[in-house]
Amino acid sequence: MMATKAACLVCQIVENKIPSKKVYEDEFVLAVLDVNGAVPGHCFVMPKNHYSIIEQVPDIEIGRLFQASNKISSAIFESLGVQGTNIFVANGVPAGQTVAHFTINVIPRKDNDGINLQWQPKQLSEEEMSTVELKLKEQTKNIGHFEKEEKKPRAYAAKPKIISEEEEEYFTKQMRRLT
Amino acid sequence: MPEQNITPEQLKALQEKIKQMSPEELKEFQKKQCIFCQIVAGKVQSKKIYEDEKVIALLDINPSNPGHVLLLTKEHYSIMPQIPDDELAHVFMAVKSLSNAMLRSIDAQGTNIIVANGIAAGQRAQHFMVHVIPRKENDGINFVLPQNAMQQADIEDIGNRLVASLKGASEDAKMPEQKSKGIDLDDISKILGAR
Repeated sequence: MMATKAACLVCQIVENKIPSKKVYEDEFVLAVLDVNGAVPGHCFVMPKNHYSIIEQVPDIEIGRLFQASNKISSAIFESLGVQGTNIFVANGVPAGQTVAHFTINVIPRKDNDGINLQWQPKQLSEEEMSTVELKLKEQTKNIGHFEKEEKKPRAYAAKPKIISEEEEEYFTKQMRRLT
Repeated sequence: MPEQNITPEQLKALQEKIKQMSPEELKEFQKKQCIFCQIVAGKVQSKKIYEDEKVIALLDINPSNPGHVLLLTKEHYSIMPQIPDDELAHVFMAVKSLSNAMLRSIDAQGTNIIVANGIAAGQRAQHFMVHVIPRKENDGINFVLPQNAMQQADIEDIGNRLVASLKGASEDAKMPEQKSKGIDLDDISKILGAR
């Protein structure tokens, strides 16, 4: 079942219906301490508007969310005396997403802290590499036109972008995969 | 970086030389040593799938899954806190588009986005990069993020330390250009180890 805004845990945190330890907030972004995190200081950075997956988040909010994540990463280095940080996003259930509200994890790291974000490299043939290269290139041809400016300040934050029926159908399909 | 055979004397001389470099000289030195700067400059071959004025995306030659992409800044930065805000926004707008492309072109059912700052976080190269990983069910990747309930006292203590550290950023809702403070090149060599 697709989680709606009303049922969304993160939206309830944004609306203060669920208490949280906030560490950062601006017009678009809320960051809270994950009180059940991988290590102490693990933070969630979330858009205030409800989006399930990264595809739905407007470019301008993407910029703000990762800028905030970077500031939190710097703050973690500065104030928690750690040796590293990870930025981690799980987009879709097969990628490990558990809550249907786009979330960035900022994770303080030390040696032997029990976290594993490593992988075993897979051996691909030259042909497999070329096939995947061509397929991806076909799709990346048209990217690069990022919407960096706010078109209508304020009104934008209050009213999420209206998406076309075609897009809606695509996202719904993605969300079915999410469940 | 490939292993090089140098004598302990040569190593010592090199370390001494690095110590006496100005920050600008050090950056130039790091750039020359950096394999990813050579890829950006086209001196080392790669399977490039996207490029614009600020970033370049290429296929990882040791992929976690077919289609695993590395997104690099063209400029040499060691870790994310060094990157200016406008460039950082651009990087992740490109990441979003690459994630979209994976869902549409290679039947990915999801994606992971990972940045590692520091060796302890799994960073291997001294050039900032974002991993964008296409995911499918049962693809053999198993990231482990344990859950540990925090004590109430720790929540307050750690939360307040972060709030204090973020105060300047949080008050300014518009978040203008801001140089990250508190991290200088000395700290970075600690984070990345003396290599």
